[in-house]
Amino acid sequence: MLRQAEETNSVSCSANGTKPVIAVEHLYKAYGPTVAVQDVSFTVNAGEIFGILGRNGAGKTTTVECVTGLRRPDRGTISVLGLDPRHERRELHERVGVQLQQSALQDRIRVAEAVELYASFYRRPADGRELLATLGLERARDQQFAKLSGGQKQRLSIVLALIGRPEIAVLDELTTGLDPEARRETWALIEGVRDRGVTIVLVSHYMEEAERLCDRVAVIDHGKVIALDHPAALGDRARTGKRVRLTVPEGFDENLLGALPEVSGVERHGHDLVVIGSGDLLTAVVLAVDRAGLRAQDVRPETANLEDAFLALIDETTSETEIKR
Amino acid sequence: MSTLAVELDPQRRHAFGLLVGTEIKLALRRPVGLVVALGIPFALLVIFGSIPATTRPTAALGGISFFTLYVPTLLVFVLIAVGLGTLPQTLATYRQQGVLRRMSTTPVPPSWLLAAQMTINVILAAMSITIIIGLGALAYGLGLPTTVGGWLVTLLSLVLTVVATLGLGLCAAALASSPQVAGAIQALLFYPLAFLSGLYVPLQEIHSTALNDIAKVVPTGAGFNALHASFLGHSPGVEPLLVLAGWAIMTSVAAARMFRWE
Repeated sequence: MLRQAEETNSVSCSANGTKPVIAVEHLYKAYGPTVAVQDVSFTVNAGEIFGILGRNGAGKTTTVECVTGLRRPDRGTISVLGLDPRHERRELHERVGVQLQQSALQDRIRVAEAVELYASFYRRPADGRELLATLGLERARDQQFAKLSGGQKQRLSIVLALIGRPEIAVLDELTTGLDPEARRETWALIEGVRDRGVTIVLVSHYMEEAERLCDRVAVIDHGKVIALDHPAALGDRARTGKRVRLTVPEGFDENLLGALPEVSGVERHGHDLVVIGSGDLLTAVVLAVDRAGLRAQDVRPETANLEDAFLALIDETTSETEIKR
Repeated sequence: MSTLAVELDPQRRHAFGLLVGTEIKLALRRPVGLVVALGIPFALLVIFGSIPATTRPTAALGGISFFTLYVPTLLVFVLIAVGLGTLPQTLATYRQQGVLRRMSTTPVPPSWLLAAQMTINVILAAMSITIIIGLGALAYGLGLPTTVGGWLVTLLSLVLTVVATLGLGLCAAALASSPQVAGAIQALLFYPLAFLSGLYVPLQEIHSTALNDIAKVVPTGAGFNALHASFLGHSPGVEPLLVLAGWAIMTSVAAARMFRWE
């Protein structure tokens, strides 16, 4: 009954539901001398799609591994549905469906066999047949796992993450390695899952994915949360500054631009400069270059999306640090 | 393996049964392990059993037939083929591919997959042992223990040898980072261990005290000695049984400490 109520509510108050189902505070985890997660805190509300974003090696996977009880954090507290992942793993796994990277099924297991097997692991499993139909895998029922396409494997992993009727589904890098079409299909499926009343934690390094799906996003870099907001607000943060890109001749002193009252920052990208600022930025920049006796080429204003916001945020926090790709 | 099958509720029992059933199906779809565990000993049994000279008592072997001497060796061979071959191969593959990792996110711990694999390998070994002993006795006149006590000692020797060799296999599975490494460990251990159980030449024929002393303390040699004596209706004495028990405990503890799920 409670679930029913949640399901009907989830549509209307999904984005601003106030009940946190996951609370992470000051998570810290190191592997030997390597600090994977330095300081991560966030809460996830019931019914929302919460994004954890960051580049490879930022600490996303370690964070969700700690949240789902697969790793013991060195420090910090985690509560998931009121449970402690360290000591109540089994109960947690009954109620949280998890899809992780670098996980697979036995090569020769058939789709229907895997679904039946995994259903047996849970107290009150969902109807596997129906889930397979929803995710378009009916025809692959008798296929062996090793022979499935990348997209089919991902859809099967969603089926298995949902087979226990979880209240929360954690989906890690679900669309990595899929072609754009399969990725869009997967997005629609994730929205469908949320509409069933399941809270979703989506780990990704695709901005586009977060922008399209997530109600809120935590951006993680070097093991820290560097931003936590609605995707639109993150985009706005980058848009508050206007951006002008221009090509300048060799030897142009960019400090000339930095000294202007309209300008808050200048970035050099090869021969291009990106000037960030406010007011009548474009005119001010063109005039300043002209005063220096030079001509600016290809002057164009830029619009920011979440990708820019993401990069800008990371640059802000790691300006001094060498970024390893 | 903190969860024992006996203390499970019906849902968990059903899950474990289904897991074992699925693993059996998967093993049948890739029958290499079955050929090694069932086919090879069967073939060797038929070959040696059909040569009249091998089933005749020989003075050089202390008045018993070569066949009688060879059956315990075949039994030990089956156990190390299963314990060092199929078990670590499968587990290393499951770990490398992320099968264990996938299961670790469910209410069922990945140790169940290990338990299921051990179960089917024990079933496989038991089938093979039954075939060897049954066929040997019925078709080729293999002498069997005649007393209840003799059977009990035989059974105890078999069980201890099974646990010791599977424990060795679990250690190999714990140490192997990939199926290739598991294969290398298998090759490294298999041939010396098979040799010390008399697979190539009966050790009695080599007349080397040093070699026989080594054989006494390795699981395959001790397994052979225990089985050989109990098949002849003799008491194997406590020594080989203690050696086997020691290996069983040591390897189980070591495997439990070293095993990594990913």
